[in-house]
Amino acid sequence: MAFYQASWLILLSPLFSFAVIIFGTRMWDLASRPRVAATTTHEEEHGSEGEDHGEHGEGDDEDPKVPRLTTGARISGYVGILIVALACIYSWLLLLNTAGVISIAPALPSGGITVLSYDWLNQGTASYVVSFRIDNLAIAMMVVVTTISLLVQVYSQGYMENSAGYARFFSYLSLFTFSMLVIVFAQNFLVIFVGWELVGLSSYLLIGFWINKQAQPDQDRPAPATAAIQAFITNRVGDVGFIIGIMILFSTTGTFDFLTLSSKTDPHGVVHAFAGNTTLLTVAMILIFCGAIGKSAQLPLTVWLPTAMEGPTPVSALIHAATMVAAGVYMVARTYPLFSAAPVALGVVGWVGGITALYAALTALTQTDFKRVLAFSTISQLGYMFVGLGVAAGTDIGSGAGMFHLFTHAFFKALLFLGAGSVIHSLHHATHEETQDMRKMGGLAKYMPITAITWLVATLTISGFPFFSGFYSKDNIIALAFDQGNYGLYIITLGTAGLTAFYMLRAYILAFGGKGGGFGGLWGGTYRGVGEPHEAPLTITIPLIVLAIASIIAGYWTGFFSYVQPGAPALNIGEVLSNPLTWIGVLVAFIGLGWAYVLYTRFDLATIHDVVENNAVLRFLYQLTLRKFYIDDLYALFIRYVVFGISHIEAAFDTYVVDGIVNGVAGAVTGLGRGVRRVETGKVQSYMIGFFGGIAVLAIVVFALVIFVK
Amino acid sequence: MGLTLNHFLVLGALLFCIGLYGALAKRNAIAVLMGIEIMLNAVNVTMVGFSYFSKVKPYSTYLTGQIFAIFIITVAAAEAAVALAMIISIYRKRSTVDVGEINLMKW
Repeated sequence: MAFYQASWLILLSPLFSFAVIIFGTRMWDLASRPRVAATTTHEEEHGSEGEDHGEHGEGDDEDPKVPRLTTGARISGYVGILIVALACIYSWLLLLNTAGVISIAPALPSGGITVLSYDWLNQGTASYVVSFRIDNLAIAMMVVVTTISLLVQVYSQGYMENSAGYARFFSYLSLFTFSMLVIVFAQNFLVIFVGWELVGLSSYLLIGFWINKQAQPDQDRPAPATAAIQAFITNRVGDVGFIIGIMILFSTTGTFDFLTLSSKTDPHGVVHAFAGNTTLLTVAMILIFCGAIGKSAQLPLTVWLPTAMEGPTPVSALIHAATMVAAGVYMVARTYPLFSAAPVALGVVGWVGGITALYAALTALTQTDFKRVLAFSTISQLGYMFVGLGVAAGTDIGSGAGMFHLFTHAFFKALLFLGAGSVIHSLHHATHEETQDMRKMGGLAKYMPITAITWLVATLTISGFPFFSGFYSKDNIIALAFDQGNYGLYIITLGTAGLTAFYMLRAYILAFGGKGGGFGGLWGGTYRGVGEPHEAPLTITIPLIVLAIASIIAGYWTGFFSYVQPGAPALNIGEVLSNPLTWIGVLVAFIGLGWAYVLYTRFDLATIHDVVENNAVLRFLYQLTLRKFYIDDLYALFIRYVVFGISHIEAAFDTYVVDGIVNGVAGAVTGLGRGVRRVETGKVQSYMIGFFGGIAVLAIVVFALVIFVK
Repeated sequence: MGLTLNHFLVLGALLFCIGLYGALAKRNAIAVLMGIEIMLNAVNVTMVGFSYFSKVKPYSTYLTGQIFAIFIITVAAAEAAVALAMIISIYRKRSTVDVGEINLMKW
């Protein structure tokens, strides 16, 4: 039991490395930097701070000319990697042990065990407990978080070596890992909300990591600082719903604890507490789902994820693809019994996911920014996960289907992002400017073969190509929608699968292949940029290879469903392959792949562009998807006219009413003083008149009182 | 009929009014000072009168009013010295002793 009990070490170890880097090695790093002209302490402080934030060139923090890393900075990176590696090994041991592969400890009790608990405060009958618990679901998620975190940190060693603030970057990554693990370990809504806000904070810090970088309006790219604020604010919108939902649950049941809430017999469980009032429970669960909508960038809060791509690419891979954005899915899976008690809310989950999946896939079709395609693809895949959760009401599989896709998606989407980062990194060295536009790539496969082959693996995985992991997990969701009789979502997810295959192969060919390349255009072609790109260093390619292997084999963990959802049937590969529905899905994916292949390996980009421009219908559709169905513009209008309108009214109230009262009082006192000061004549006799006159008046009053009142 | 308390009080009141008039109406600072001295002495007369004619035991026995009068005379002497010194100082600076023109403390 101690083997499980000690897993709080996994939770706290990233926090420890954060502290070590911030207070230890980063200080050393800053102190050991060469100074230009620092004589006084004040200037030193200023100088080192400026150095840290990067003073290289015009608003670009990433620059090949940045001086070599200091020892302190390198050690910071090693500290982060070492500690997360230990946590990763530990969580793998937990996973293998609970899955029955190895046996170094007895089996975990079915409800999991509490590893750390602290009575925060007791107030009346309500008690607020900070407690952390592990069970199979948490262990599966923990493995994803620590593994991707480890690979991303190794990768960042190569990717970030020319960037300012190297040590700071690793401290933020550690902080993020800790925050994410708080969500994973959370035993009640209180803790999960704390983790929710902590990942929001670390996401904000990491998106805005390159604080000196300017906006590039010609490429429709905002400044990272702006993107960070947008992500933070958009998430707060969802969190308002989340916290209101938690409060409704707490005020009705009197507890935050997941297990108590899920219990069907406990009087504090939702089934008892909301008996006869399922409408309120439905409202509460939809509000809680609002938190997931914000964090997982579902409609209508999709806008922040594409702009969040302004952060460094390893961050996009870790936070905005594999882990944090999947926190919404994890949270719904964690509270699945609660959602099951409110089937309408679960229906909302499914439909929001389905519509978002379709919307994001349509938008991804025309994006030209390498990372934006992946961002929309992430949104789309998260939509799939919510469909998987939403349609599984009343089945044995429960949250298994959605979580399985989360599990496989984490690997291949991290791989896609890290591959994209590898391309951006090498193009940055080749062209000395940041290139993310796929129209300036092409034919990169012959320059960067490892990146290209791993990217192709990920592309095929996400497209649902048979025998890759995405094939099993995505197909499972589509089949589940069909089996549950939800034909609307079945059609949507099936169509989206075709679109996914199309835009992913399009991105691959635009970057790595092209007309005239080998293998019918898949390998090499004309490079449309400048300079001579090279394959990335080993620290970058090794994580790619590891993830590529994981992307293929993750689908063969057939016991996943019964692992996270006791009683669920195992994945039967033979049954999947003999099911005609599977082959319909594969056919759709092949149509998408084939169409992208024909379009982008047989024709030049310019030709395609001319055809679209000369056809009114195509041009309209192209603009529609390129501008993300004008959702960003709608938000801009809403903020400009509604939010700013209310702000103007409030500003007027402040100016005229609040300030009016304050200034009015002050003005009255000033005016009174201006009048009264005339009494001060400076002549001694006028004072005497006042003095004796006063006495005379008093004397008369006293006299009158003595005579008449008696 | 001999002296009664009323004689003292009327004399004190008259002197006080004369002094008050002088202090309020005169423009010359020295005349104002003289008015103030008259007011002080009016009070002295009243005090002594009360002291002499008082029927209330302790006060008549212990001569409190008369001792008060002696104190006032002493303080008035000191006050006159200080006030005259100030008047001379002001005269040296401003070449006037007209209290209507001495208004340095005006708003």
